[in-house]
Amino acid sequence: MARVGRRDLFSGGITRRTVLKSSAAAALAAGAYRPLGTWAQGGTGIDLSQWSPDYVRSIAGTLEVDTAAECARVVPLDYTGRLTYWWVGPTEASPQLDHETDAQFWEAFSRTYPNITIERQNLGYNDMLNKLRTAALGNAAPMVARLPILWGVEFAAKGQLSELKPEDIGYGTDEYWPGALKSVTWDGAGYGIPTNNETMAFIWNAEIFKEAGLDPETPPATWDDVVAYSRQIKEKTGKNGYGLVARPNAGNTPFRFMPQCWAYGGGALDEAEADPSYEEVYIGNDGTKAALQLSYDMYVRDRSVPTSALTNTQTENQDPFIAGQLGMMISHPSEYAFMIDRANRATGSDKAIADAVVANMRYGLIPQGPVRRAVVFGGSNVHMFHPDVVDGDLDVDAARALITFMTGPEWSTRYNWSSSNPGNIRGFRTSWMKERLDQIKFLDVTSSMLPSGIPFPVIPESTEIMNIIIPDMLQNALTETMSIEDAADDAAYRVQQLLDGI
Amino acid sequence: MSTAIATVPTAGRRQTGARGWTITGWIFLVLLLLFAFLPMLWMLLTSVKTQFGALQYPPAWIPTEVTFEQYHRLLSPTNDVGHEFLGYLWNSVWISAATTVLSVMIAVPAAYAFSRFRFPGRKWLFFSVLFRNMFPAVVFLMPLFVMMRFLGLVNTQASLILTYLTFGLPLSIWLLKGFYDNIPIQLEQAARIDGATRFQAFMLVVMPLSAPGIVATAIYSFITAWNEYVYALTFLNDKSKLTLPVGLQRFFTEYATNWPGLMAASFIMSVPVVLMFLILQKYFVRALTEGAVKS
Repeated sequence: MARVGRRDLFSGGITRRTVLKSSAAAALAAGAYRPLGTWAQGGTGIDLSQWSPDYVRSIAGTLEVDTAAECARVVPLDYTGRLTYWWVGPTEASPQLDHETDAQFWEAFSRTYPNITIERQNLGYNDMLNKLRTAALGNAAPMVARLPILWGVEFAAKGQLSELKPEDIGYGTDEYWPGALKSVTWDGAGYGIPTNNETMAFIWNAEIFKEAGLDPETPPATWDDVVAYSRQIKEKTGKNGYGLVARPNAGNTPFRFMPQCWAYGGGALDEAEADPSYEEVYIGNDGTKAALQLSYDMYVRDRSVPTSALTNTQTENQDPFIAGQLGMMISHPSEYAFMIDRANRATGSDKAIADAVVANMRYGLIPQGPVRRAVVFGGSNVHMFHPDVVDGDLDVDAARALITFMTGPEWSTRYNWSSSNPGNIRGFRTSWMKERLDQIKFLDVTSSMLPSGIPFPVIPESTEIMNIIIPDMLQNALTETMSIEDAADDAAYRVQQLLDGI
Repeated sequence: MSTAIATVPTAGRRQTGARGWTITGWIFLVLLLLFAFLPMLWMLLTSVKTQFGALQYPPAWIPTEVTFEQYHRLLSPTNDVGHEFLGYLWNSVWISAATTVLSVMIAVPAAYAFSRFRFPGRKWLFFSVLFRNMFPAVVFLMPLFVMMRFLGLVNTQASLILTYLTFGLPLSIWLLKGFYDNIPIQLEQAARIDGATRFQAFMLVVMPLSAPGIVATAIYSFITAWNEYVYALTFLNDKSKLTLPVGLQRFFTEYATNWPGLMAASFIMSVPVVLMFLILQKYFVRALTEGAVKS
């Protein structure tokens, strides 16, 4: 048992040591139980170099996991403790499946650790960040929180998170995607564990493709094709082609623009490079300008995207897509599950509409550019807050018990059933993964985008860059307030100023 | 005679002109009403649409299929959604009511004191009351959070009531002082000559005369507390303690929005405020117009 309170820190600062000490044995034990043969493939039994939809299907169901046994190696199952935990959980707008999975998760955890009491706060996606910022500043943060991928670095940079890496919870670094681990690394140290990894896919409506004279089963292969298809859809059907999103201060904007930007060799910083330094500004380069030109062509020249794109978030694209008024969009794997859920609940005339939407939905890989195929590497990470900012004493073992349970192969697969990919790579081999692939269409497509996933720059300024500067750049170009050239240069100047602390 | 003949057409023109203005006025008023009520109507109509009906394109004013499913879910205490929602509703009602009562209880004597008594620093103190309202509410978020934590009030509804008092009280005191200033002091003096104490004179003479002002103050305090979101989100953790504005966020996810559910919840949320206005409007109107007839 390791409870770390403020007094411990003031009397000698042993927080990290406490965590490491109690986890070292666990890490050794966790490593020891692996069959030797699997080490040849990074300890997971998975060969990432072969990653494809077929490979994802072929490995599913080849691993049996005993979660309780894996947890017991880290924290004994009879451990008694108390935990406070915040997360973005299912809400009234979530599919029923998400509510059921959430309930199953908590039931399973309390069965595994019956003596750990958890005070948990399920917060909305729009609510959590500001609440957490205030709570952490006011020394009232929860012990553990599961945060969307981009949020953690801000707290890490402020020193509000405890250092935490896979070995601290009994798993190996090789069990997580390198991109995912990059997103929880700040100043050379790990401060969280990936719970799920997410890459979006390109979704299109086969019926609209048919109406527009396009092959209903073939998505655009390149970004240039997207522009051409969007134009053709608009001209032939009068419906909007591509769901452009350019609203400032909405996370959805960079999630849709950056794949385009990276595909042409652009970027905010050098995040798309193999070994990014996050110091070189790419936003004013030719790649970014070429990507910006594509958006300009669709919005200004062809008028083939919603005119409301300047104020749209993805929610406003999802609705016309469902209504059969939008041909193509980039979205989450969860989109299909949402549609199935709605179709299941629909009655009367709605039922026919819902069934048609589901039948016409198609998923494909995000288009390529001249430099690469890229997509934002998303998902969530679980973090342990620093004892200094936690409300009460941090119960390290209770925190580790939950994190081990949550990020293992079983629950990182089951908990993200309809919406994402398991954070733990071994999850892809489990029988639950096989069941998911059989149950939820297109999961293999979104999973196969993972190797093309690029995390946003892991710096505290990322939120400002992605939510403000990049959307502003788009707005300047699309409203013709500035030329493409000037808009990109202006954004580059602002990013540089931000990095320089001006 | 000739005068009469000469005046008839003029009167007719005047009447026609007046009628023209009346019709224009009515059209203007109807347009204004439509502008004010269309969002409410759209909210109500969306709340009875199905999930797909709400997304229909082009949007239809009149739903092809009407369903009260969302209201049924929200107002049934036996299902989880309804249980939660009714909890939020109750929390909002009682927090807003408590804020209103306390606000009136403090603002009434404070405003009276500023109006009737002369004491050192009165002017400075009176203006300093408004100091709080010169800054956006969010500026005080962090300091108030730290204070509430120090007092052990985080995750209690008392923290919200105290905070809402800091929003509502300054303006309430200002509003009420204006009322007391307009009530002739001679009325109180007459009551005192008749044997009333100062307190009796205040309660029996001043209070009834200032009733419209008190009602206006109460409505203002109630609405301020009823609609507040940021502090409620920050100070409260337990789902069972949350208020309606925070509860409305439960209809959004990162990926989607339950529009009919959100609209139904919003409509229910607007009902208590609308009812309050309907019941108390005569006082409210008097409060707004009182100054026009005072000398």
